Amino acid sequence: MISFYRHQLPNGLQILICPDRSTPMAALDICYHVGAKNEHPDRTGFAHLFEHLMFGGSVNIPDYDMPLQQAGGENNAYTTNDLTNYYLTLPKENIETGFWLESDRMLELAFSQKSLDVQKSVVIEEFKQRNINQPYGDAWALVRGLAYEVHPYQWATIGKEISHIEDATLEEVKDFFFRFYAPDNAVLIASGNVDEDKILHFSEKWFGNIPNRSVNKVALPKEPTQNSFREKTVERKVPDTLLYLAFHMPGKSDRGYFVCDLISDVLSNGNSSRMYKKLVKEKRLFVELDAYISGDHDPGLFMVSGKLSKGVSIEQAKHAVWEELEIIQQELVNGTELVKVKNKLEANLVYGRMNYLNVAQDLAHFENLQKAELINEQLDVYQSITAEELRDIAQNIFRIENCSQLNYLAK
Amino acid sequence: MIINRTIQPDLLKPGKPAFNPPEEFQLDNSIPVFMLHAGNEDVTKLELIFEAGVWQENTPLQAALANAMLQEGSRKFKSYQIAESFDFFGAYLQLYADYHFGAVSILCLNKHLPKILPVVEELVKFSILPENEFHTLTKQRKQRFLLENEKVKVLAQKKFSCVLFGEDHPYSQTVTANDFDCLEVDSLVEFYKKNYRSNHCRILASGNTDEHLLANLNQYFGEKDWNGSSLEIESFSVKSSNSKYHFVEKPDAIQSAIRTGKLLVKKDHPDFTGLLVLNAILGGYFSSRLMANIREDKGYTYGIVSSIPTFRDAAYFVVATEVDKQYEEATISEIFKEIELLKTTLLGEDELKRVKQYLLGEFIRDFDGPFARATAFRNVNDFGLDYSFYEDYYDMLLTITPKQIKNLANKYFETDSFYTVVAGRK
Repeated sequence: MISFYRHQLPNGLQILICPDRSTPMAALDICYHVGAKNEHPDRTGFAHLFEHLMFGGSVNIPDYDMPLQQAGGENNAYTTNDLTNYYLTLPKENIETGFWLESDRMLELAFSQKSLDVQKSVVIEEFKQRNINQPYGDAWALVRGLAYEVHPYQWATIGKEISHIEDATLEEVKDFFFRFYAPDNAVLIASGNVDEDKILHFSEKWFGNIPNRSVNKVALPKEPTQNSFREKTVERKVPDTLLYLAFHMPGKSDRGYFVCDLISDVLSNGNSSRMYKKLVKEKRLFVELDAYISGDHDPGLFMVSGKLSKGVSIEQAKHAVWEELEIIQQELVNGTELVKVKNKLEANLVYGRMNYLNVAQDLAHFENLQKAELINEQLDVYQSITAEELRDIAQNIFRIENCSQLNYLAK
Repeated sequence: MIINRTIQPDLLKPGKPAFNPPEEFQLDNSIPVFMLHAGNEDVTKLELIFEAGVWQENTPLQAALANAMLQEGSRKFKSYQIAESFDFFGAYLQLYADYHFGAVSILCLNKHLPKILPVVEELVKFSILPENEFHTLTKQRKQRFLLENEKVKVLAQKKFSCVLFGEDHPYSQTVTANDFDCLEVDSLVEFYKKNYRSNHCRILASGNTDEHLLANLNQYFGEKDWNGSSLEIESFSVKSSNSKYHFVEKPDAIQSAIRTGKLLVKKDHPDFTGLLVLNAILGGYFSSRLMANIREDKGYTYGIVSSIPTFRDAAYFVVATEVDKQYEEATISEIFKEIELLKTTLLGEDELKRVKQYLLGEFIRDFDGPFARATAFRNVNDFGLDYSFYEDYYDMLLTITPKQIKNLANKYFETDSFYTVVAGRK
């Protein structure tokens, strides 16, 4: 059980405080409820570009990093399709510096053409480093493009095309800021060695007078039900051929999401899992094989991806995976197997709680989804899932007409 | 309330980290056990560390693959049964080998540890390294190796290690794809039988460990019947390259990977801790000079860092980055400009203060929580050092001056002594 306190400032900012006195450190996490899914289709990669701009100085503080380092702090940020999360950790004595820095950049950034130009260039190099210069770097983007027709999950956070980043103007950047970066579209989480009263005091002092910006988000287009099998084949200069199968699955507010998580664990979590045992170890059709869920908040993807052994054809590989997907639709997962995946989930939750920053980030994700309090319901949801549910959901998603297949061939 | 947002809140000096070295025990067969009792959750991390690294090899890949094979079958259990035991209890088994050590590491809820230990005993003491599993594993590793070799940063790093140490030195990364094909399971068995022995072993336990742990360890690992021949550690001489610039061609690469640096003094040298500060200023943290210049000002790269990789018998300084081909030369020239600046111009008190505060924060993190403390312990114990290393580092952080930094830069950063490796397209 993770205990935390919740408060709300009059401007709408949610405050969550989660003390852990076993550490000499404190964490401050600010999560903005804006991700790549909120971008315009012609300006993809914007949320992520923006994450970079947030380090280019704010209206009253020209440099973000230096004062933080002076306080012994460290920080970073990440952008997903659903959210943008900024976090810092400091020795507990200096937590107020975190409030000072974060509140000023929520108030207003120091927008400048120079800062925009440099960060555009950095992000373009990042795009090359991640997507182009890495073997298989573009695979995930290809899968998204194939599986989604209308939902913005069709592009990755780094963006669809480099030109979208190159063409971004200062005006657009400002507009994006005032549209999404606001106390009424954010949650502040303090964890680690923190005191509730002090955190509340600092929150009011530094964030209290930032105006509410009446954030109004456009509803996202709903992805229509996929009715026919999709397949795409690409050839690249990579050492091994990869096969990807993507199936549409329920979103994170749906119980089915957690069922899918367990299905993926039965299939491929650990060396004793079904697919690893049969297809990697026994039949040696794959060198690596994974089943996992994309983890998105809106309906996301159930993925099976594997690296083929030399000499194995896409047909053979695909056939073997489908055999496993058939079994889990027809036969109930046995008791021991189900206990195993649940034990593993329980252990992972305990391991995750050992780190105060990890706890803050988990709270941020649940708050972004719906409300942070859900964090304590997770284990019960998982524990209550039955073998019948696994079978039923498997039947529902592992259908050929719900499948997008990417063949990523080694040249 | 009117607040002045232009002024940073007052800073307090954080306290000195509590080093808390581990408690030391011995099993009946003299295996040293180090216990770091800390944390709130009932979790234990257990590491059995053997002198079984690249250093002990007589054939390439022996250390890594003998280590990886430990989970592939023992006298009582098949590979899948070992996997099943760990998975069933939500425990993690991690096997890793580096230049000096081969280790077996387990992360487990305390309540399940008694059920996991007999399995750990099997794979540590009674592994049989079965041949068919060996073939699967080498095939897998070879494919991973080939994939890694597609990356310019990997090619640059490998070449750089050979340039610094010479191809016959264990610290140079000279493994080829062919080595995977030539490897035989017998040589792994021989390596395992020689090196995974009680007199080559240390045990490190961290977490909110329970009171029975020591007795349990003694039950499974304390017997005298798995002693090996006495431990001898060979020495190797370093033969750095005669030429200072090396290029590794990778056709079609969009970005070029750059490595530039040189050998430094070892961790036990009195200048070593000061060099850590010098490194931080140049490229060891986010606001370093290299980042400020090459990423934040010029936008040539997503990241550029310098670091001091440290081993038992050596340490070196290296600047590492990946840039678009067109920025390759400009980047190298900017790196040397920044190095030159440290040698000629005293750095400001403000900058030094900032770096010190940053490193102090990092230092506190190094001792935050049981697992961090376990790493901190290994970072001295693996080197034959003790916690006085940390005492000295802390004192140095409080007292080092701009003049001392400049002296260190002049003493160690002679431009002619640097080696540069670039991997990318022509």
